Amino acid sequence: MPVVHMASIVPISQSVGANRIIPTVAIPHPLGDPTLDAAEEKALRRKLVEKALTALSTNVSEQTVF
Amino acid sequence: MKLELHKIHVSQLRFGPSTGLEGSCLTVNAEELRALLLEDSHLADVELDIAHPGDSVRIMPVKDAIEPRCKLEGPGEVFPGFIGPVETVGEGKTLVLEGMCVLTTGRLVAAQEGIVDMSGPGADYTPFSRTCNLAVVLHPREDVKLHEAEHACRIAGLKAAHYLAAHCKNHPADTVESYEAPSLREGLGAHGSLPKVAYIYMLQSQGLLHDTWVYGVDAKRILPTLISPTEIMDGAIISGNCVSACDKNNTYVHLNNPIIRALYDRHGKDLNFVGVVITNENVTLADKQRSSSYAVKLASMLGVDAVVISEEGFGNPDADLVLNCVKAEKAGIRTVLVTDEFAGANGASQSLADSCVEGDACVTGGNANATILLPPMQKVIGDIGQADVIAGGFFGSLKPDGSLEVELQAIMAATNELGFNRLGAYTI
Repeated sequence: MPVVHMASIVPISQSVGANRIIPTVAIPHPLGDPTLDAAEEKALRRKLVEKALTALSTNVSEQTVF
Repeated sequence: MKLELHKIHVSQLRFGPSTGLEGSCLTVNAEELRALLLEDSHLADVELDIAHPGDSVRIMPVKDAIEPRCKLEGPGEVFPGFIGPVETVGEGKTLVLEGMCVLTTGRLVAAQEGIVDMSGPGADYTPFSRTCNLAVVLHPREDVKLHEAEHACRIAGLKAAHYLAAHCKNHPADTVESYEAPSLREGLGAHGSLPKVAYIYMLQSQGLLHDTWVYGVDAKRILPTLISPTEIMDGAIISGNCVSACDKNNTYVHLNNPIIRALYDRHGKDLNFVGVVITNENVTLADKQRSSSYAVKLASMLGVDAVVISEEGFGNPDADLVLNCVKAEKAGIRTVLVTDEFAGANGASQSLADSCVEGDACVTGGNANATILLPPMQKVIGDIGQADVIAGGFFGSLKPDGSLEVELQAIMAATNELGFNRLGAYTI
């Protein structure tokens, strides 16, 4: 089953063996950014989720950072 | 720079009418100290208590440990940016009350504060069972916001420590230790054939009350920089951490950093200790990459052969540790890493969240996931009701008879990553 790992510290995602890696914003708020207003933050979140769905449907042969 | 530490040994604490030393017994005027701390309007109440080694006493949850110090001579005052002005410290003479400690406690700001048992099996796991402790039980006002309460508690501990030392200025020192911190030109030119060694000192800076302060500056906002080891002895680095008690660097261990002490001990014998680089552990990958590159660049500019790198905390700071290690090794600088482990209750799991083949010389402070049963004590200072929520504790930690089942994670400095405690581990 394909899995996407969305996390902010890519080396740790690589260290634990994730194959599809989406770098995110920061450890306390991986899919958000408190410095943005609500509309900007929603756009950011949507972009990350869409990137994750793309990664999920992409074949990979090795650990890949999207 | 040259700093003398004028150390007075304290072997007993008591409350009395006037704060000062008689022999090695320190009397504390509790009302005077309480009044000083209550000048901060964020605090509703302050209680003071005393615990000696061997007492049937549990102190929890402990926020910070601070060794009383004050300047006798030289620019500035200890804890610059908090007690002293933001004047460079690390020169002249500093009074130290050794053998004792101020422990700040009470129901504070977050779940992640520690346990100090003065006797029983738990006492073996914390260095603060071997000091005479003045417990400062802090009660912030109910309407004070979380970060303001943390700030008030942090300052109260520093104030209490400075107050005690400042009342002993006329007492003769038992021992005087002298530390030289020469200019780079002088330091790098000395001890020609000995390997040049620097220390990369990682400071917890994740935010959300996981913070360290340098001259009053939040360490998450610094670029890595050089600092004299004698500045650290004067309290230029202080802890603002509400994070797992076992491996946060409280202010006491910053003041008495054993890695710095060991590098001084070996300086001029088998190595040339040329400097300290402080760096941080921030929460974005870009910050981690920037800080690790910058810290290693400073080490390269010093032209050192090797660095000792110490971590603070665990989890994502493991990534900072590994980045520092890999980049230093790639720059031709050999590394020794000092860390601890979260390897599961039986020690069989991966110890760190990240790793690298370059990290082939590693010192560990022990496995923080190991559990221990702490029997009941006759007296609890602080709030034992916090046992189920502190990090390393869990629902059911507090037994009906007052005993506690916890991970070593919950015990103050149990797996300290500066080597401050006695715990270690071996590979099987």
